[in-house]
Amino acid sequence: MATIKDIINSPLLLALVCGGLLYITAFSVVYLLKARKRALEMGISAKEISDIIKSSLIFSVVPSLSIVIGLVALAASLGTVWSWWRLSVIGSLSFETQIASNLAPTMGFATTTELMEKATGEQFGVVMILMSVGMLAGFAILLPFGKKLMTSVDKSKGGNGWSNVLSGCFMLTLLAVYVPLLLICDTYQALVMVTGLIVAIVLGIFAKKPGMAWLNNFIMAGSMIVAMVSALLWTSIF
Amino acid sequence: MSKKNYTLDPFQAWAHRWGRIGTLIALAYMISIPFIVLNYYNCMPSMGSVFNVATFGILAIYIPVGISEALSYTPLMGASSYLGFITGNIMNLKLPCAVNALKIAGKEANTPEGDVVASIGVAASSIMTVVILTIAAALVSVISPIFELPAVKTMSNYLLPALFGSMTLGLFSSTSAGSKVVVGGLKGVMPVIIIVSVIALANRILNIMPGTTLMGMVGFLILAMLPVAIITSRIMWKKGKIKVVDKEEA
Repeated sequence: MATIKDIINSPLLLALVCGGLLYITAFSVVYLLKARKRALEMGISAKEISDIIKSSLIFSVVPSLSIVIGLVALAASLGTVWSWWRLSVIGSLSFETQIASNLAPTMGFATTTELMEKATGEQFGVVMILMSVGMLAGFAILLPFGKKLMTSVDKSKGGNGWSNVLSGCFMLTLLAVYVPLLLICDTYQALVMVTGLIVAIVLGIFAKKPGMAWLNNFIMAGSMIVAMVSALLWTSIF
Repeated sequence: MSKKNYTLDPFQAWAHRWGRIGTLIALAYMISIPFIVLNYYNCMPSMGSVFNVATFGILAIYIPVGISEALSYTPLMGASSYLGFITGNIMNLKLPCAVNALKIAGKEANTPEGDVVASIGVAASSIMTVVILTIAAALVSVISPIFELPAVKTMSNYLLPALFGSMTLGLFSSTSAGSKVVVGGLKGVMPVIIIVSVIALANRILNIMPGTTLMGMVGFLILAMLPVAIITSRIMWKKGKIKVVDKEEA
């Protein structure tokens, strides 16, 4: 009978994960090329597109490094290949780490580390299947209703104005839920968030000065990094 | 333009067709991986051990989160949603990236130009993440000590508030509506701000659960608060408290 170690170190699993990641990368490249082509047709200049790509790449580094921390933590309990796969597709850092730690007790293990040491192949199979199906609920909405959801808030339709109000409503609800939670739940979170906001405002002011327009491409990435570093200061002061 | 002769932009039409097909293929592949590997090693668990009361209890937590993400993020990310959902990490990476791209290009969400620009940002970000995670997976034993440093872990714990701090201005600017401006839109979400603030304050004062646990329930909160915000906004708009006016009039 195969053990968890046979599966997580399996060349077959590695080959399937590599195949999947190649597909995801190809899908992203096709999306990028199609969007770029349409952007040029719409009159968006090649330089503007290049700025968007560069800024997106730079902006993605820090959140991706946070996901790497999740990978390091998850690899200890689920193996590198499976963790690499799960964090590269659909899943989120929080979901994957939570579901892995929640599943261990239901199978009679105190921790995910114990699961890694003692689980049979079948037990690890339960984890693999549940992690794979766990986040599918969103697709049950996105695939059949995504087009309807997007067109219902499309501002280019014009109309009587309700679509404009509805469109802003989703973003404002997101802010109305997250911002009070971040500001009230935890003092450090509040300080980090306010730091990010202030740095973004200051950078925005600088970016309006002559010759400083390039700064616009780095406002979000820069303020996010400063805010994260400020967490070290706040946690040491208070 | 009336609803009758409204047509999708070519890129949006492409995304709805091929984004959906590409997503379905990726989903089928993703779900089949465990079954192929487990069958190969002859250790396929019984369906009873996979889907039972205990595991369903865990999955039940994530079903509302998934529904909430689809309902709240799809209208914001537009045509980039298909790619964003398949590559995951939406709140902590893809949505901020889309907002960043819109801000740089000076385009607005929920317009054909906005969809194109957001898709460029999300696609570039998806490729970058795959590259970084691939390098990290290959070097995991080498880099582990660095990423286990307390300072690095502390900074990583505060990614979400740092992201919100940095993108709040961008989020607010993306709620404007092209040649039209929504005046008083914030009034529609005032009940949400009050309800969430009361819940957060009560939790903090009475110490019911750790703040991080409450943050973990954000999916439920968004799902519950979206109808509140939409209904309130609709009533306010009907009563003229929220108005859509031409930019010159604002």
